[in-house]
Amino acid sequence: MSGKFLFELLCEEIPANALPEAREQLVAGLAAKLDEAGVTASRPLGFSTSRRLALWVEGLPAETPARVEEVFGPPASVAFAPDGSLTRAGEGFARAQGVAPSELQVVEGPKGKVVAAKKHVPGRALPELLAEIVPAVVSSLHFPKTMRWGEGQYVFVRPVHRVVALWGLDSLDQVVGFSIFGVPSGAATLGHRVTHPGEVLLSGVRDLEGYLQRLRQAGVELDPSRRRALFRQKAGELASEVGCQVRPDPALEEEHVELVEFPGLVRGELDSAWLSLPEEVIVTTLRHHQKCLVLEKDGRVAPYFLAVCDRPDDPQGHVRQGNEWVAGARLSDAHFFFHQDLQNPLEAMAEKLTRVAFHAKLGSYADKAKRVEALVVQLAEALGFAELRGPLQTAARLAKADLASHMVGEFPELQGVMGGIYAQKQGHAPEVWQAIAEQYLPAGQEGAIPKSLTGALLGVADRLDTLAALFSVGEIPTGSKDPFALRRHALSVVRICGEFPLSLSLPEAASWAAAPFGGAGVTELAGFLRERERFFLESKGLPGPVADAVLSARWGMPADELALGQALASLWQTPQFVQLATAFKRVRNMVGKEGEGTWAPERLLEDAEKALANQVAGMEEELGRLATAKAWGQALALLAGLAEPLDRFFTDVLVMCPDVELRQARLGLLAKIQRLFLQLADVSKLQVAS
Amino acid sequence: MELQAVILNLLRFWGEQGCLVQQPYDMEVGAGTMHPETFLRVLGPEPYRVAYVQPSRRPADARFGENPFRLGKHLQLQVILKPSPADVQELYLRSLQVLGIDPAVHDVRFEEDNWESPTLGAWGVGWQVLLDGMEITQFTYFQQAGGLDLKPISAEITYGLERIAMFLQRKTSIYEVEWVSGVPYGAVRHRDEVELSRYAFQQADVSMLRRHFEDWEREGFRCLEGDDPLVIPALEAALKMSHLFNLLDARGAVSTTERVAMIARVRKLAVATAKAYVEQRKRAGFPLLSGGAA
Repeated sequence: MSGKFLFELLCEEIPANALPEAREQLVAGLAAKLDEAGVTASRPLGFSTSRRLALWVEGLPAETPARVEEVFGPPASVAFAPDGSLTRAGEGFARAQGVAPSELQVVEGPKGKVVAAKKHVPGRALPELLAEIVPAVVSSLHFPKTMRWGEGQYVFVRPVHRVVALWGLDSLDQVVGFSIFGVPSGAATLGHRVTHPGEVLLSGVRDLEGYLQRLRQAGVELDPSRRRALFRQKAGELASEVGCQVRPDPALEEEHVELVEFPGLVRGELDSAWLSLPEEVIVTTLRHHQKCLVLEKDGRVAPYFLAVCDRPDDPQGHVRQGNEWVAGARLSDAHFFFHQDLQNPLEAMAEKLTRVAFHAKLGSYADKAKRVEALVVQLAEALGFAELRGPLQTAARLAKADLASHMVGEFPELQGVMGGIYAQKQGHAPEVWQAIAEQYLPAGQEGAIPKSLTGALLGVADRLDTLAALFSVGEIPTGSKDPFALRRHALSVVRICGEFPLSLSLPEAASWAAAPFGGAGVTELAGFLRERERFFLESKGLPGPVADAVLSARWGMPADELALGQALASLWQTPQFVQLATAFKRVRNMVGKEGEGTWAPERLLEDAEKALANQVAGMEEELGRLATAKAWGQALALLAGLAEPLDRFFTDVLVMCPDVELRQARLGLLAKIQRLFLQLADVSKLQVAS
Repeated sequence: MELQAVILNLLRFWGEQGCLVQQPYDMEVGAGTMHPETFLRVLGPEPYRVAYVQPSRRPADARFGENPFRLGKHLQLQVILKPSPADVQELYLRSLQVLGIDPAVHDVRFEEDNWESPTLGAWGVGWQVLLDGMEITQFTYFQQAGGLDLKPISAEITYGLERIAMFLQRKTSIYEVEWVSGVPYGAVRHRDEVELSRYAFQQADVSMLRRHFEDWEREGFRCLEGDDPLVIPALEAALKMSHLFNLLDARGAVSTTERVAMIARVRKLAVATAKAYVEQRKRAGFPLLSGGAA
């Protein structure tokens, strides 16, 4: 027979985004406290609804284990008189610890010999322990935002109304007495506020299932995973009844699970008039305020949606009607904004940007648009796409115009998307509207990159300008502070260059972007982009040392560095490369310490060095040719061919010979080899620490 | 239920809960919260309960009377319960029943939506209340007002009256809502919306508005000078500044950067006024503390 404990805290509606974390903290907090007390039990289980947090734990002993605790007292020299009898200090210590003087021992403490008492700490009844640790765990919970209520003496995520704490060996029959935020613990909770108001007595519950069942009877599904399953099942049924599928939306599903006490869904129908709106607008409108799931048929938005509700049924159809009414109202609002916006050319909206500040020290969005226009043309010409000049200039000029539209004012997440739609409807060329629509892609580390070349170019130019502008006024991210999300912007630049790909040299592009600001901050910007490229290479699966080896030699064309890194990654642990890495490390050390010498192969004497010089002589050109052709595997194989001769060189040749000219010639040979490698990778970074 | 019945029923209900039924503040305000019966009364230790209807002006939300859901001036019904009682959510749900809304057949949900007023230096934690998916109320536990931490804490319940009437009457446009039987909202208010929109977006004299913003700022701080500051006139000056700012904003005359600075100027006066109010009440011995609560 083992002990069981149930804890439930009932309060007003907790924010959905705080619940998963609160459950975890509650479980981890209780587990840690039990562990501290030496109590073994099953892992506590955490549950929640929008109004409650609960814990269930079983396998608890009736008492905490008895322990022997060693308590250190005063130094032995103070506790005992020279004759070995106890001093008053020694007696006092024994008395304070409740042990007989004869039980005192002398032990070696960190500061010499001290007296010590072994105390027998008896076990405590579990309810007593629980009454102490549960309030401590609850008050240590961390929430993103807390509040006060009533007289204002307590702080928690929301006002607390009930605390249930029940203990028992067979069934839960004993209230564990304590209070939290002025609410004393008891044996009864409340049911679902609307469908089952009134008390639910929890004493007598025998197991977890019994507890969950009692709450279910009171209209509450306490188990979030069960709620998720019910939502999914219900959503599938409601969709298939009208021959549709649910458009997947994991974030919204997650939120639904945490928003309710009972997982209900209703299907609403949309007036087909709204289907003439762009799909992005329909989906965003429904999601934004109403948290509705969209149904689709053959990949197209269907005239239905699913709305969450906190009850199992909709007896009179009010919930469906209400949601349909609101969805209709919101879509009609969106429809209104959409048609208002369409009457207003993007050019006119763009003019309003003179009044919208980009940054206090950096002028308006109109100023930014001018800079981006110049930069994107420069990028396109450098990449050999001069013919895109016209569309890119138009796109850059209009790119931010939708910030002044009604629709984006209402739904900021549609920026870019709306601009693209309006540009298309207003008759701009595909190169123009695609660029506007795709300028914010990728949205994050995982999001898709632009599909169109103009979108890729505009996205890179816009972000490089943002980065250069902010770096020029010292807004450089440090530690966890990155208020302008510059890391994300820089990573997006690297991702587009690497994945689209664009053969743009990032250091060069960064200096162009920094030019309007007199080049201020350009060194920091280059270093920042290089760091993001390292992150990019690792995210593509390159081992850290390989990424470092490549980036130490070259950076700024992420697609090339990625391909080169991948070629290197397949070779770097072969015996030949391990040997090469070791030899090259010696080359770098020597050249670094002794200087670059002079390239003078005719002065070399030994066979080993002459052979090496011969092999190296023709390599420069060949490597250059292979790099241009991006034949990275062949280029690396060519370098790998130097492993053997280099080894022989270091075995047979004394570089630091007394003959100054010969020494310079030998160093010159090594320096040439170093330059060769550094066209590709600093393989010394691959040397395995031995 | 007609709009007028919604108002009367709610005021009667809250009156029965011990609320003083107050009148709207006779000035332009952006929200019922700016009424001194809320902004000042939530400060300090004195208990208070009040309910009133407040026309709320948001010039930037005006739509020339063309949008069926947006108004530049709408009606809020504001309730303050100080300190917030333990059964405040239940009281609120009962208030819905006087509107004929039966929670047994509707879906009522409290969804996190915290409230903040940068111009008043005020913020609170709470929810928007959704009825069958429709937002009908903002429910807030005030934590700070005028930059001062509050104790006790007040619960603020704000009903959007046009929205609720629209919902109850199943109208697709605000202007079709029946104020009383046979008198549509549009017949009473549509022309005002058109004119106020035109004024806010096209006609308002920007340099005059800017001048008055500065004038009222000076005047407000002048009211707070001396040993016996004039709290209400100072608050009224802050409210005027706030409305002038909103008009300038609707007129497109405020840049993003300037915006932050102007809001900070209003807040500075609001914060000074809040402080002066608390001191004034303290000097008077917090008269409502001794059982004289409304």
